[in-house]
Amino acid sequence: MMSGARFVAAASSVLLLAACGGNTGVTNPSTGGPGVPTPPAASLTGAGATFPAPFYDAARFAYNQKFSQVTINYQSIGSGAGIQQLIKKTVDFGASDVPMNASELASAGGSDKVVQIASTLGTESMAYNLAGVSNGQLRLTPKTIAGIFLGTIKNWNDPALAADNSGVSLPNQSITVVHRSDGSGTTYIFTDYLSTVSADWKTKVGKGKSVSWPVGQGAKGNEAVATTIKQTPGAIGYVELAYVLQTNMTQASLQNHDGNFVIPSPEGATAAASQFLAVNPSQFSIVDAPGKNSAPISGYSWLMLYTDQPDKTKGTALVDFLDWLVTDGQQYAANVHYARLPSNIVRDDINSLKTVTSGGSTLLSVPAPS
Amino acid sequence: MVPTPLVAASHQRPLVSGDRVFSVIAYGAAALIMLIAVIFIIALFIPALPAITKFGLGFFTSRTWDPVRNQFGALTAIYGTLVTSAIALLIAFPIGLGAALFLAEDARLSLVRGPLSFLIELLAGIPSVVIGLWAFFILTPLMRDKVDPFLQHTVGFLALFKGTPTGYGFLTAGLVLAIMVLPIMIALSRDVIRAVPRELREASLALGATNAETIWSVILPYARVGITGAVLLSLGRALGETIAVTMVIGNTMQISASLFASGYTLPSVIANEFTEATGNVYLGSLFYLGVVLVLITIVVNVLARLLIWRFSGSARASA
Amino acid sequence: MSLPFVRILLDRVVGALVVLCVMVAAIPVLVLFLFVIIKGLPGILTPGFFTQSPHPQGVPGGGVLNAIIGTLEIVGIGSLLAVPVGVLIGIFLSEYGRNQVGDTVRFISDVLTGLPSIAFGIFGYSVVVLTTHHFSALSASIALAVLMLPVILRATETALLLVPNALREAGLALGAPRWRVTLEIVVPAALGGIVTGALLAMARAAGETAPLLFTAFGNDIVQTNPLQPMGALALTVFRNALVPYPNLQDQAWAAALLLVILVAATNILARVYVRRIQR
Repeated sequence: MMSGARFVAAASSVLLLAACGGNTGVTNPSTGGPGVPTPPAASLTGAGATFPAPFYDAARFAYNQKFSQVTINYQSIGSGAGIQQLIKKTVDFGASDVPMNASELASAGGSDKVVQIASTLGTESMAYNLAGVSNGQLRLTPKTIAGIFLGTIKNWNDPALAADNSGVSLPNQSITVVHRSDGSGTTYIFTDYLSTVSADWKTKVGKGKSVSWPVGQGAKGNEAVATTIKQTPGAIGYVELAYVLQTNMTQASLQNHDGNFVIPSPEGATAAASQFLAVNPSQFSIVDAPGKNSAPISGYSWLMLYTDQPDKTKGTALVDFLDWLVTDGQQYAANVHYARLPSNIVRDDINSLKTVTSGGSTLLSVPAPS
Repeated sequence: MVPTPLVAASHQRPLVSGDRVFSVIAYGAAALIMLIAVIFIIALFIPALPAITKFGLGFFTSRTWDPVRNQFGALTAIYGTLVTSAIALLIAFPIGLGAALFLAEDARLSLVRGPLSFLIELLAGIPSVVIGLWAFFILTPLMRDKVDPFLQHTVGFLALFKGTPTGYGFLTAGLVLAIMVLPIMIALSRDVIRAVPRELREASLALGATNAETIWSVILPYARVGITGAVLLSLGRALGETIAVTMVIGNTMQISASLFASGYTLPSVIANEFTEATGNVYLGSLFYLGVVLVLITIVVNVLARLLIWRFSGSARASA
Repeated sequence: MSLPFVRILLDRVVGALVVLCVMVAAIPVLVLFLFVIIKGLPGILTPGFFTQSPHPQGVPGGGVLNAIIGTLEIVGIGSLLAVPVGVLIGIFLSEYGRNQVGDTVRFISDVLTGLPSIAFGIFGYSVVVLTTHHFSALSASIALAVLMLPVILRATETALLLVPNALREAGLALGAPRWRVTLEIVVPAALGGIVTGALLAMARAAGETAPLLFTAFGNDIVQTNPLQPMGALALTVFRNALVPYPNLQDQAWAAALLLVILVAATNILARVYVRRIQR
């Protein structure tokens, strides 16, 4: 097992980086500060959503630096896959932008067998690849987004697009729609949004982690959608904000519920979330939020674990990590363009984590700072 | 067939215990591979049962692939698999055969023949993910900006070349597959052509036929069965190729007459959706696709091997 | 003897076409190598490529140490499983297999050879991951072992059959039991071919991606425990290729170059070994 002790510090942005280079070298302080439980040595595996992957990636890296005895392997394989692998018990925790539904919970043994916590808050961008149309210049309304994804708007010079974009020279070029090919929470949030704003979309396609797309081509994961758009002139697709900002893609201004055009941002996600205070695993949609700054295609991302952990050591390490993730770990969210969780959600999360047990005893030892 | 070793006669010797132990171990190893085959079938078939019982043979004719409504059919993926493989063979067959004729026959440029053979063998060894990487970053832009517009400009009146080229889709996937099956096509055809008895060739040339005429009326007819086998083995490889195709096919569940359109193939559906399939029917449908894929490749491969066997048998007989 | 012009022309045309074909076949290989080298070399030369694990997405730098260790370990364990069994089955085929059992084994082996690589991934998932409830390097090793098996056993059989029967007879005439003749005379004489087969199988296994997707699963942390998920070079190439971060894409090219070097080196090693044995 890797204890990742020798660190080659590489300063880059605010993130303190480390690279694990073997088992030898300087010993690392592996005790937590006040209020942070010291986890036992464990190697954890999680899988799922690509939407929050940059955040989890940064957070697990920072956590491993703090506690070198805990290594966390997170594979971004899509929300559907995360839930599925949790049900099959091939991972220690699953991640999804859509909480597990009743039938998925039933497959996992019942709703009381699984704990679901919100881990981060993010928003989706409409990223595009159009020569001469710079970032934020393209303005999209709920109607035109639905039109593009329904296939009724096929060309960039379509009158419907031109009407919202006076002053922008939209080329005579076919639109290539890029969507997800895998079961995806990003898709769920996006189709949830489209179903909310377009009756046509609601009846013809509907919402889900995978849908029958009327047009376009598929790519696996937020990563591949972003890469495909970057590769394809004339392409447009829905991508989590972090990928767009980190890789300098161009994204559209989106008209929100109040009629304002906003460029999706973490602040926009926070504004949207503030409109929906009672969020829980069965009531979680925050798309098309009212408010003048709200980013319209926002959503929480969720983590799932079993209430009864078979391995006490591993279970303790897991809840300790998740407790840290929703509290101190949130500082890493802003660096990678996610919004901090609202405090009421953090409180709910910690209360949920307290219900996780192994052999009948509660695993979360130290009450985290509120 | 290899001549039976003379030691087979030693069966008459009374077996000393060491021999018995050794033969038990050897037979045990043979039994192990049979066991693996049985487990393989079970591992593929049992999880597919929920889908097999639900959709039956209708699975093959349904174009629906709808995880939301839990309705699945294989037709779209089968279509994509067949179309991409057909494109691959249409390209790889003539080029592979020509190259094989050169490598097996041609007396010219004998200096470059060795390196060329080596190069093509190397291609066979390149991992498909590396070819996929190259295709994704280098070939797709080339197709989108140069090849596809050229095709559209010249033969764009055909339904095959309508629509907007994005660089991804059937044509690019077929081309990638062509590159991947070329080494197989070339190596096998070359061996088959080399197996044509020298006397036949020399007789034809002695009678005054040109090289081209000898190829056309002596070598190709003689090697036909073996070459068919080579084509089938190439087909088997093309049908099952996963990673490189997944990276350029466009991953869309649609049947389209246009070769510029995105599609899906049996292996790429499995590669993309396997870890995420929720519920027994969805996962079962992916296993069902796997069963279909395995059955198709087995049939094609067995057929190919029978043909090549028949050829090498007849080649030896007349040699 | 002078031929009609048309026949000569046709001959020349066919001759030219054949040369054209071989060139068309060779061009993609050259272009491919060129790109993999040009795009992969800078990444390989980046400090940390061999000594670090991947950095989080969006953070520059990092390496593929996790994947190098993973590929070596997964293929290593796979070989430990496949080589002894494959060689034994090869011995069975050449020494005991002139019967229906042998034909059945040959048929199964040929069928396995033709199966798509993704099928081995499904096999590994279905048989190991679902029963152990964990993605693991071991499940990948088992999937790859089954994939390697037919290559090794056929190579072994072929090599053993090439050993002159006179050697076997000489051994038996000296009164040695058959198993000793096989293990101490026949197998050593065929060692070149057997080792070549094993090396080629390992080269193929090292480059496979599809069997690893649902078994080894990937891991960005250096992991040496075979019961845990593990990274691999092929997975790095596949995943990083599709990621929009330039440093990770560079790593994909560099990992691809590394894979190609690994595969080519194994192939060349196999050839050199055969030559040395044959001398």
